[in-house]
Amino acid sequence: MSPATAGIIGIIFLVVLFLLRMPVAFAMALVGFGGFAYLTSPEAALGLLGRDIFDQFSSYPLSVIPMFILMGTFAFASGISQRLYRTAYAWIGHRRGGLTVATVFACAGFGAICGSSTATAATMGKIALPEMKKYNYDDTLASGTVAAAGTLGILIPPSTVLIVYGILTEQSIGKLFVAGVLPGIILSIFFAATVALLCWRNPAIGPPGTPSSWREKWEALTGIVEAFLLFLLAIGGLFLGWFSPTQAGAIGAGGALVIGLTRRQLSWETFIEACKDGLRTSCMVIFIITGAVIFGHFMAVSRIPFMLAEWLGGLPIHPMAVMAVIAFIYFIGGFFMDAMGLIVVTIPIFFPIVEKLGFDPIWFGVIIVLVGEMGVITPPVGVNVFVIKGIAPDIPLENIFRGILPFLVALILFTALLMVFPQIATFLPSLVSY
Amino acid sequence: MLGKFERFNHRLSGWCEWLGIVAMLLMMVITCIDVVGAKVFKWPLLGALDIVMLSQIVAISFAASVTLIAGRHIQVEFLFNLLPRRARAVINSTVLLLGLGLFILIIWRLCVLGYAFQTSGEYSPTAYIPLYPFAYAIALASIPVCLVLLLEFLKSLTKRGQQ
Repeated sequence: MSPATAGIIGIIFLVVLFLLRMPVAFAMALVGFGGFAYLTSPEAALGLLGRDIFDQFSSYPLSVIPMFILMGTFAFASGISQRLYRTAYAWIGHRRGGLTVATVFACAGFGAICGSSTATAATMGKIALPEMKKYNYDDTLASGTVAAAGTLGILIPPSTVLIVYGILTEQSIGKLFVAGVLPGIILSIFFAATVALLCWRNPAIGPPGTPSSWREKWEALTGIVEAFLLFLLAIGGLFLGWFSPTQAGAIGAGGALVIGLTRRQLSWETFIEACKDGLRTSCMVIFIITGAVIFGHFMAVSRIPFMLAEWLGGLPIHPMAVMAVIAFIYFIGGFFMDAMGLIVVTIPIFFPIVEKLGFDPIWFGVIIVLVGEMGVITPPVGVNVFVIKGIAPDIPLENIFRGILPFLVALILFTALLMVFPQIATFLPSLVSY
Repeated sequence: MLGKFERFNHRLSGWCEWLGIVAMLLMMVITCIDVVGAKVFKWPLLGALDIVMLSQIVAISFAASVTLIAGRHIQVEFLFNLLPRRARAVINSTVLLLGLGLFILIIWRLCVLGYAFQTSGEYSPTAYIPLYPFAYAIALASIPVCLVLLLEFLKSLTKRGQQ
């Protein structure tokens, strides 16, 4: 059997294990180990298994993951999300659809200190959904907004998905973070415009909330000062080259902890819960990366990614058409798999193609995060939808999915815009040199 | 009997998680001290990188079993749930056995790697901390993972037996 045939059989076997509900990390490690043993030797594969696990678990570049995840869990436990929402509410809650627009911007704000879409949706869902219910907002609009706006968490820096992409493709995490800023802001505006359009067509779905006085508005602004300072310190320090990514994450986590302690929001129980949550998520992410590294070794000896890249590069079609096909594969894959899992599994296969076709790897990272965001809100594995369902069990699942549709259209339109104008993602990274 | 085994697993994984939490917080504290020391006092912490790397080994490997118990690993659920109950039980047992086999291999290989580090005298790059205890630590932390997978396998057999 040729290495390429063994590689294809390995990929099929991997998909079968996924469908049989084996954890993605374990399946990749198992298939990667088996395939590598077949193509090289069992001794080489056994040696690689132990070495890969030790190298990944002790990898300093990977330590950025627990640090930024911890920053997000501490920020949540410190009540920063509540104050962000209160500020957005005070300024725009009195307008038609104002609470949903406030939710979008509060999600964007929380996304700037938390790198997970699920955490952003869960956090904002707990705060925003009861408020919107109080003001008789349409369930479909309210739940769809929180689920969709939660996805901003993995686009706006810090982003766990961009960190993992950066590690797997050896791209600068700082540049990837900078690249997510403009798309994150523009996508937030797209989402807000979607809400405005929906409420303009049917004002009954988003009635105005109680107006706030100017004094209340200015007072509410103090609630975002700490989030802004935390972002400025951790992410700003990273952008300016003061800190390495791990240092930025640790400073961010430490800063969020100090905010929680000074605000007296962080009890011993919430602190321990935040630590447990951060540790378990970090463990899941590092295991999945380790699995991907083992699987990547198998793919490399099978030479499939390079052959695929050669073949696609030689086709008489525009590279952008190939990119559209790749984006479509991610879009379909997102229906069945979490964004992180999908990206980790496919990067060893698709990244050589992207490089061969001459695309900017930073831009590609933002594109796959956007397409991954679609997977987070589309059935049957729309994680954010299930998170919202868990928070608001009285809202039927089909209503949440229906509520997401307009935002999905906005997300697709924005992804197309980014494909036509890659500068939206590449302009800011071109200004930094590290 | 299985109930006792499950309680033991939960308790063991809970203890391991505490070790993981301490290691993760150590990573954060050491990095913060290093940054403040280097930027403010021009005196970076010697061996900070090594401590972070080695603490990460402890944090991640000792959190593995509790992460598995909590169901935090990414899985593709949609097709599995459509299958008949009997087919699900058979598939579940097979997948758990494969997982158990993988982790037994991991324990073996990490012990071999640890022994190789011990005999060759491998140390971390700056603080010269011996690496072999950490390879053994990953192997040790994988034992509760094997126990969790074994328990789930036994549970799946019992369920199938009941059907």
